[in-house]
Amino acid sequence: MDNIEQLIKTLSNDTAKIQPAPHPYLLSLKWAVATVAYLSLLLVIFGLRPDFLQAIENPWFVVEILALFSIFVATLVTTSLLAFPDIHQKRAIAFAPILMVSMFLVVIFFAWNADHPPASLPDHTYECTLCIILASLLPAVWTFYSLRKLASVHYRLAGGLALLSATSIGALWLRLYEVNDSIIHVVEWHYLPMFVIGLIGLWLGEIVLKW
Amino acid sequence: MTKIASDLETLMQQALEGDKHAYAELLRETAHFLRPFLRQKLQADSEVDDLLQEILLSIHKVRHTYDGMRPYKPWAFAIAKYRLLDYLRNHYADRLHSAIDMSVLENALQDNVTEYRISYESISGEVSKLPEKQALIIRMMHQEGYTAKEVAEKIGMTESAVKVAAHRAYKTLKHQLEE
Repeated sequence: MDNIEQLIKTLSNDTAKIQPAPHPYLLSLKWAVATVAYLSLLLVIFGLRPDFLQAIENPWFVVEILALFSIFVATLVTTSLLAFPDIHQKRAIAFAPILMVSMFLVVIFFAWNADHPPASLPDHTYECTLCIILASLLPAVWTFYSLRKLASVHYRLAGGLALLSATSIGALWLRLYEVNDSIIHVVEWHYLPMFVIGLIGLWLGEIVLKW
Repeated sequence: MTKIASDLETLMQQALEGDKHAYAELLRETAHFLRPFLRQKLQADSEVDDLLQEILLSIHKVRHTYDGMRPYKPWAFAIAKYRLLDYLRNHYADRLHSAIDMSVLENALQDNVTEYRISYESISGEVSKLPEKQALIIRMMHQEGYTAKEVAEKIGMTESAVKVAAHRAYKTLKHQLEE
């Protein structure tokens, strides 16, 4: 008991005015603005796909892009909530990515069925995955860096969602940049690796975010 | 109950403003409501005290993640549960790490650990280099002539624990003497 009292005295003497961390919504807005600015920069540097106007005439392409963007937003918001020990007492909202990923899978299912006859497969394969990884590096590092300043008790989940959020922006950029209508290729080399990297984030979260 | 809860939020708001007395009071209240929770999960009072100190340190370290606008207790309990799980994980990992292979144990139990082939005096120098408890067991068994059962009774260990400790000591001594 004396030790506890002694510790309390030490800690209270050590305290000073402290700025509380921003609200998770504000935090996720900050991250989203920065990431969208980064995506815009990538699109300015590399350009939009030349057939973009033609591509957006395909409703499944538009829905796919929107579903991908919703994954980005949902994972970002949840990551920011998970950065707080008590999930900022908004546990229900933290489940949003499950809904968005389910919606995305439904969209992909319909887009796959609508791809008839199947569009021709591009020559390249793993290069797309590499591009997504490279494009996602900066947002991933920034999100992890920001998360480390906070205190997630769900560090694995936070790591997984942070990486999923970062790779979804990489996948979004590639979808807007690459001239490719093969849904088989997109699923195999864009979206499956995106979710696999999200799973790797579970492991990375344990290493980087544990405190 | 509501008054105490609202007091905790106010205390934390004041603490975040740099009020040392409010912060000390808040930590005292936190220790007060966390102690029964930890007592339910841990057996020894010393463990409860150790973990409570760790939790208070964690609360101090991450107090910037609390803004004083939402209930304080769920935030404090989230940190407490996190530290408790971490503590239990490490505790059981340590126990697993220090556990010995059953086959080694079986071999050791078959040995007559009170029978020795070389005199205690000739290796007393090496014995003194052993960990305190192992050295004591070897000394009692080989210098003073107690059986493993008698040693166990005298130093408050189980007979099998004494035999295991003796076996470990023999292995260490064998290694040292072979060098």
